[in-house]
Amino acid sequence: MGVSAFSDEWARQFKDEVNRSSTYKSAAKGWKWSVGLVVEAEPDKNFPESKGVVMDLFDGSARDITVGTAADAQKCDFVITAPYTRWKQVATKELDATKGILQGKLKLKGDLPTIVRYTKASQEMTECTTRVPVEWPDEK
Amino acid sequence: MARRKIETDKAVDYADPEPSAFASMLGGLIDANIANSPAKRKDFDELGARVGIWVTDIDEGVTLEFHRGSLIVHNGLKPKRDITIRAEAETVMNLSNLRIGLFGMPVYYDEVGRGVAAKLVQRKLRIDGMLGNIATVNTVTRIFSVR
Repeated sequence: MGVSAFSDEWARQFKDEVNRSSTYKSAAKGWKWSVGLVVEAEPDKNFPESKGVVMDLFDGSARDITVGTAADAQKCDFVITAPYTRWKQVATKELDATKGILQGKLKLKGDLPTIVRYTKASQEMTECTTRVPVEWPDEK
Repeated sequence: MARRKIETDKAVDYADPEPSAFASMLGGLIDANIANSPAKRKDFDELGARVGIWVTDIDEGVTLEFHRGSLIVHNGLKPKRDITIRAEAETVMNLSNLRIGLFGMPVYYDEVGRGVAAKLVQRKLRIDGMLGNIATVNTVTRIFSVR
């Protein structure tokens, strides 16, 4: 059985997945910026309030990943914003995050050359989210 | 009444009132690259070309109109392009990750370079107009590259 989407337990398991990934460890060498994911509310999907995932990432490892408010995530160096349904598509491999950003389905804020330099790391980060078994609120 | 030319300091501008996400991203990337690197700025100031980029797996593209020191980014492919790059999203991102080596040539022997070269061989990366415009392809690659 999965953990509740974007819950504290989900964040813990996501962090463990990131730290287990040797691909992420090598691809994110030198990374020293925080990343915030804003998950916008979709009340009709049983996701009534926006949430923010704050990722403290440093040199190939996740020092901490926590779930708070959207405002918490918006303070990060890089912020990716999308409605709940989009994030679900990313986490279930229906939507590739790189394509999603190029199509504007995921909105990226932050220094573009830096994020492009770490494309492989961000792809692996997305892969890590897909490895966490999740119970989605709109499927309850 | 004489028409006054509107001067703008912006190196990168957008042709469409609502630039697509891809157009904004490429324009933003080039803007940041030339601001951060005098060598890229020099390339930018010398480049006059119309470059199309088509991302095959999202069916979106842009046309980059370089005017020796300024760039206009158009949504979609526009006519009269000197070169057109067609590739999947991942390959387009990898083009921005090519290292630049001796004499300003892109490096094709490291991991990213080998991946890009393999896509060229497999025709998953196509550069229409490359043969007559090798220098333009290399200059555009240098301006794109975040390395």
